[in-house]
Amino acid sequence: MGFNGIGADLSVPGMIPWEIIVAYFAIALGFVLYYSRKTGGLKGYKTVDFVYIGIGAAFTVVWEFFVGPLLDKIVPPGLSAFIGFGFFGRIIILFIIAGLVRKPGVGMLSLAIFDILGDIFHYGFSGEPIFVFYEALTYGLFIDIAITIRRGNLFGNFSTGKTKNGIGAYAQKHQELFAAITGGIIGFTWAFPDPFFYSGFFGPFLYGSIVNWQKILITFAESIPGNIIFGIIAGLIALRVARVLGQ
Amino acid sequence: MYSLLDTAISWLLFVFGVSIPFYLILGAIGISGFREITSYEKYDTFYYNLNASIKILLSVVIVLIATFAIWWIGAIITFGLLASYVTLKNGWRKMYLTGFLILSIIIGTVWGYAPYEPLGIVSMALHTPVSSFTTVWTWPPYFSILGYEPHLTLQSLYYSFQISFRFTAAVVASLLLVMTNTPAQIIKTLSRFRIPDPVIFSLVVAMKTVPAVFESFDTSIKISLMRGYGGNKPKFLRPFVILAAAVSCIVPTIVHLLRGAKDIGISADTRAFRAYPSRSYFMQTPFKREDYIFSGILVIMVTATIIAIMMGFGRAIPYLT
Repeated sequence: MGFNGIGADLSVPGMIPWEIIVAYFAIALGFVLYYSRKTGGLKGYKTVDFVYIGIGAAFTVVWEFFVGPLLDKIVPPGLSAFIGFGFFGRIIILFIIAGLVRKPGVGMLSLAIFDILGDIFHYGFSGEPIFVFYEALTYGLFIDIAITIRRGNLFGNFSTGKTKNGIGAYAQKHQELFAAITGGIIGFTWAFPDPFFYSGFFGPFLYGSIVNWQKILITFAESIPGNIIFGIIAGLIALRVARVLGQ
Repeated sequence: MYSLLDTAISWLLFVFGVSIPFYLILGAIGISGFREITSYEKYDTFYYNLNASIKILLSVVIVLIATFAIWWIGAIITFGLLASYVTLKNGWRKMYLTGFLILSIIIGTVWGYAPYEPLGIVSMALHTPVSSFTTVWTWPPYFSILGYEPHLTLQSLYYSFQISFRFTAAVVASLLLVMTNTPAQIIKTLSRFRIPDPVIFSLVVAMKTVPAVFESFDTSIKISLMRGYGGNKPKFLRPFVILAAAVSCIVPTIVHLLRGAKDIGISADTRAFRAYPSRSYFMQTPFKREDYIFSGILVIMVTATIIAIMMGFGRAIPYLT
């Protein structure tokens, strides 16, 4: 049976070689550790940031496990690869949280807490800690890399407005465009983990599921447009919520 | 040729699959019903005296059993545990709500898999050649645009019915944990795994927030409806109206919840959160008689499953999707 329901099957035909997966996670983890040493890691966080992360995770769980599945039922099955409301809700909520906290690590922490919470409320703890690492170091890491590259101005630079009159109309438009582009790019990167990492490696690794590369590539291609569109919407919403809450 | 009647029935079946889980959840449970089955209430029966770690173990064991044993073992566990909900506070009501949730998961899974699971995969899973499948219904040719297989077979219904019990057992066990243990007890158990304090703090906030999310979500949706959202739609479309309102309520609800975040942050800070590297616990969670009894039950469950697997009642269907 393996440890905690992990089949640890490395010989499923068509599976991504484990060396690549290990290399990816080693590099990702190395990057995170290096960067968190440089910035002080979680020490730079205020208490309210942890509260934001917790609330975001709770909302994502409610959305993805209780409300989202209902919405997904309306979508005709042939389109379900294009439109996944459960997942889109996750994009929106986590982008809002990332836009509020804007410190590297928020992506990974949010995803890790979302995962543990999902286990408590829905899945049970079987297969852990694989899922926590997988989701935190893919979805979460992509957000954190974006924050790192943008030096904390994830969806726009609203907090450092130096003019006393606030941001001008031109700057506001500019920011919205910027938030939309950032959101779209992160949304695009979020199309990768599920088909490649999960169907291509963790599914077979944990449960010995069959790897079908045609299906993986199609799922990947189909999820791109929806993810980009919702990434853009989520970026704009995140900018707006961050303005309302006045960070 | 495909007759008009057949087309009508096909669409009726399609609408049935789409709307039944909906009506079950929004009609029978309602969003506020979710709050009841996700929040802790103080009471004093067997489950409430159990240690949280035992219940976490239960959920792990159950998922393992549901994964490795034949489907009806998962089904027995699902319904057995569900029946034991009667002992909870307001037990019948909780059993009723969770029962509908389970029912909607089963119907949703069957309808979500059966019509468009490739017959080749079903045949591989059931070890039956496609040629001996029983066709229940033939869809109109254009249904293939929706991703439907040309025929709905008895075998694919059977296959997807079996799959659904992989999900239900875990849900019943997880909700049991949440309803009978305080967030503090669950977190205390998890803190043994050396999870850092800030993460634990976020988790406590999250667990406390989940029922609150349902509550403010419900309020938000009701306010939208009161303001006339979808007021001119016929009554039978009401669940869809509620759902559409739910989508437009995401942002207001999350803003409402996040506005309280600063207060929580300040109150945690005033109690010297993160002032010391580690924290102390006021509450002890010792192992009691009930815990040993339940551990015994778990051991019996695992042994019974191992015996069943050895007798040939192992997982009939591999994970294919």
